[in-house]
Amino acid sequence: MEITTIKEKVSNVLTTILEHSNFEMSDELTAKDVDGWDSLSHMMIITKIEEEFDIRFKLRELNKLKNMGALVSLIQSKS
Amino acid sequence: MVFNSFDFIAFIIPVLLLYWLVFKRSNISQNILLLIASLVFYAWADWRFLILLVLSTCVNFYLGLKISEAEEDKKRNIFLYTGVIFNVGLLLYFKYVNFFYEGFYELLNVFGTDISHDTLTILLPLGISFFTFQTLGYLIDVNHEEIEPSKDILEFSVFVTFFPKILSGPIERAAGLIPQLSTKREFSYAVFVDGLRQILWGLFAKVVVAENCAVLVNAVFDDYQQQPASSLVLLTFFYALQLYADFSGYSNMAIGVGKLFGIQLMRNFSTPFFSTNIADFWRKWHISLTTWMMDYVFTPLSFILRRQQKRGLMISIITTFILVGFWHGANWTFVVYGLLHGIYFIPLVYSGKMNSSEVVAKGKWLPSIKELFKMIVLFMIVMLTDVFFRAGTITEAFDYLGRICSLTIIDMPWAFMNGSTIMTLFLVGFFILIEWINRERKHDLEISEFSIYIRWAFYIFIFLLLLLFGRSAETFIYFQF
Repeated sequence: MEITTIKEKVSNVLTTILEHSNFEMSDELTAKDVDGWDSLSHMMIITKIEEEFDIRFKLRELNKLKNMGALVSLIQSKS
Repeated sequence: MVFNSFDFIAFIIPVLLLYWLVFKRSNISQNILLLIASLVFYAWADWRFLILLVLSTCVNFYLGLKISEAEEDKKRNIFLYTGVIFNVGLLLYFKYVNFFYEGFYELLNVFGTDISHDTLTILLPLGISFFTFQTLGYLIDVNHEEIEPSKDILEFSVFVTFFPKILSGPIERAAGLIPQLSTKREFSYAVFVDGLRQILWGLFAKVVVAENCAVLVNAVFDDYQQQPASSLVLLTFFYALQLYADFSGYSNMAIGVGKLFGIQLMRNFSTPFFSTNIADFWRKWHISLTTWMMDYVFTPLSFILRRQQKRGLMISIITTFILVGFWHGANWTFVVYGLLHGIYFIPLVYSGKMNSSEVVAKGKWLPSIKELFKMIVLFMIVMLTDVFFRAGTITEAFDYLGRICSLTIIDMPWAFMNGSTIMTLFLVGFFILIEWINRERKHDLEISEFSIYIRWAFYIFIFLLLLLFGRSAETFIYFQF
């Protein structure tokens, strides 16, 4: 899948779960930069991404993610 | 040796002088001094368990290396689970074995088998809840490849034993502390002075606010059955303030002492009573424990239960908070305390508002009526739940809360109609005011940008309050955990 398509879908997931779109989808974006993206909302975002792309993550893979670029690459490697 | 003692001053001054004047050559020499000082500090508090601390440090250091070296997942898991069993086992043995032992006999009694038994006497090693969580977090992080294992036993030993945080936290993370120990600390006047400021504010919170509240609480709590509901409400108010001022005061002093050595420990409180919902409160209360529980209990659990959506989230939150409560001590009161806090999350999870983090009155002097109302309601809920923190048994806590719900709520609270209550209210008011003003800063007395006259006027004022209203305090509430 194209990187731009993945980014677009992930952006939609974030907007749906967090109920705002005050973020820019750069590779360096981290959860800390996005208002409301904390450990509580994180799992809801992950579940929604799994549904959207029909993939399954491992907890260890998620723990290693450092930023949006890494998340998008992980999704690409799985889809 | 508590921070607010002359023993501690006699200990810290020579250590600081040696640190910045003699052992300043490299991070190794600095770490050697910090390790010696930390072991002396711990031994001073309780020498009997020094061996346990050293053993825990060595075992976790070795397991960290082994987890990282293991190439297959199976082998890796063996070392990880050995570490989990070792750390949790230490905690269970020293802190909880008596609870389960007594519980077992109580259960037998319920079934009519009355067996007499001896009471176990197991001493609780100081700081065990804090340092075992720290080492457990380290092993899990190494296993998740979030950090490289420490290859330097000296550096790792300081990470575990660093004396400002060994007795009551903050529960540090390897990713935050170990890199600071790997490089030489340079003296910074600004950081040093900021550390002193933070110690001053912590000292004020502890010996003025917490201790004066404690006098009122201790005088009334023991015969609460004789008091009208109005007094009981005031009592819970003062206890909530005591608990907060005691532990946040300790944490500020610990972080401040860390800064004197050029080491930044993590923030533990961020004006939690200025929150408008329970999730926000827990983001600001005992942050090092809450984030630990979130990362190592809530996240794996909610990951496993993620297909169950909000129900999974709810189960994960309640389980996490029961453990947060139980972490405080082997008593059902703490379990109920945690359970109640978990339950308070239910409306937030179902309304989807759990993640809305609001800074109350950001950039303004005063909150809106709506914000004020939410803060007061939340404070009342937290305050009443704290009854479980203070009571000896669940029955006592429910009895206490039952008595609050009575018509004596309109009676005069005679136990608090005295000068010392009014004085304490003023002190509490001043404390809350300063916390309010500084709620968006890194700590409550971060006033470096103010003019020198204002800063010194404030320091002198705090000193005066310490001299006039300070009470000696031998211990902190959180030492028992």
